[in-house]
Amino acid sequence: MKTRRKLFPILTVMVLVAIAAAMMVIGRGHTVYFDNRTLEGYNGQDFKALHRIVVTVKGEEAGKLGPRERGMAVWIGQNFEMTLEVTPEKGDEPEIRTIRLKLPYNMDGIIVNLPAVLAGLPEDAWLSEFVPAVPEEPEEEPFEGDEFGFGEGGDMGLGDI
Amino acid sequence: MSKKVLNLARNNAVPIMFVIICAIFIPMSGFSTSYLLNEIITRMGRNLFLVLCLLFPIMAGMGLNFGMTLGAMAAEIAIIFVADWQIWGVPGIVLAMILSIPLSVALGWLCGTLMNMARGREMITGYIMNFFITGWYQFIVLYVMGGVIPILHASIQLPRGFGIRNTVSLLNMRQYLDDLLAIRISGVKIPVLTFLVIGMLCLFIVWFRRTKLGQDMRAVGQDMEVARAAGIKVERTRILSIIMSTVFAGFGMVIYLQNMGNLPTYTGHSQIGMFCIAALLVGGASVEKATIGNAFLGVILFHLMFIVAPKAGGFITGDTMVGEYFRVFLSYGVITVALIMYEAKKRMVRSRVGQELAAAQKEGEGAQ
Repeated sequence: MKTRRKLFPILTVMVLVAIAAAMMVIGRGHTVYFDNRTLEGYNGQDFKALHRIVVTVKGEEAGKLGPRERGMAVWIGQNFEMTLEVTPEKGDEPEIRTIRLKLPYNMDGIIVNLPAVLAGLPEDAWLSEFVPAVPEEPEEEPFEGDEFGFGEGGDMGLGDI
Repeated sequence: MSKKVLNLARNNAVPIMFVIICAIFIPMSGFSTSYLLNEIITRMGRNLFLVLCLLFPIMAGMGLNFGMTLGAMAAEIAIIFVADWQIWGVPGIVLAMILSIPLSVALGWLCGTLMNMARGREMITGYIMNFFITGWYQFIVLYVMGGVIPILHASIQLPRGFGIRNTVSLLNMRQYLDDLLAIRISGVKIPVLTFLVIGMLCLFIVWFRRTKLGQDMRAVGQDMEVARAAGIKVERTRILSIIMSTVFAGFGMVIYLQNMGNLPTYTGHSQIGMFCIAALLVGGASVEKATIGNAFLGVILFHLMFIVAPKAGGFITGDTMVGEYFRVFLSYGVITVALIMYEAKKRMVRSRVGQELAAAQKEGEGAQ
């Protein structure tokens, strides 16, 4: 009976830790940027930007990209999937391709070079980290609240007293 | 018959008053039924879990747990970490709930222990505990986070290099729980998953009342001395009820914040306890007795009044601020009235017992 009593909390803690660890992995969010830009000089070869790429992520259009254009989508987890409608040259028939990529866990912003992905190049060719030019310093924006003083001065209704 | 009606009205004075207020205010506000339904359902999903967590201490005779705010603070700390680690969506919500548990347990234990020391004055102790722990919370969030505990993202951290910004965006978590299995019935969005979570808590409460610990809590709530004589560990049971309330308050706060989509770091928790308690009291609960039904009715009536009051105030006086003041006045007022009624009832019972005792003594003397 005593062993069972001790075992139950230990098991509960272990289950909670396991769930938390699983959530950390499957819930990691990434911002994925899609570049339709020419990849120059990779193994002495250039991979040209395509005429038009329509990127669809989770059934929603994330961007209609011409050459040198960038699109963006948010993704939760590391197994990224997108559908590309690729028109290589003007007047070509668009080709639909589903692409699956493994995103690195430790990167928040990930730039994916689409011409390199479509050419089947390895990860180091199509992946780079998105680093904001200046550190993010968002303005302290007013936010939506509710009637319960959510977000207002925490004076418990006492005003300036 | 008339006595029965009078008793019923006396016992449910607060909900009846709010039903009348709402019945008068709704036509004045001019809101459509679908708008009101939408708002009420959203607010039920947002607040019910928090209100339900108040039932455990009432069960144990500890009154209205103003200390539930401690759970809210634990949830806020957890959610800051989750936002910094960029865990989004439902996994982020679940992780925040799990992370809040150890903090809530520790704070609940502290609060319960103090309440045991201040027996009979649990509510004021809980209320003052909030201010004390708020100081610690602000110290942690303003100096420790970023200074001692690493915070990775500049969007969360203050520009000076430590401390958390006034607002933490939860955009990547916003209404994920509400939207996951949501259905729309004639323009009214019903957050099915959120209601399922609330339903699970209701089932847990119903089940818990029948367990050994639940029975112990009820026994302690009825009479501590009798419960002690029956071999129940009174202090431990009371602490457990506060811990459970604090942990569920933490979960409730995560649900609340995911619905709002942002965290006002320094003020998000300050009014939560007050308004959840007011909502429960509006539903007909008292300091000694509260049911799941009281929580549901309370949230519906209280929030209905909150939605319609400004417009109704505008209709009556031409100034919406009057309605705004009116609803604040009512929410604080209802707590005051409930506490006065509780104290008056207690005194009445005490004087009746005294009178009965005196009469019995007189009879005894007469017989001798």
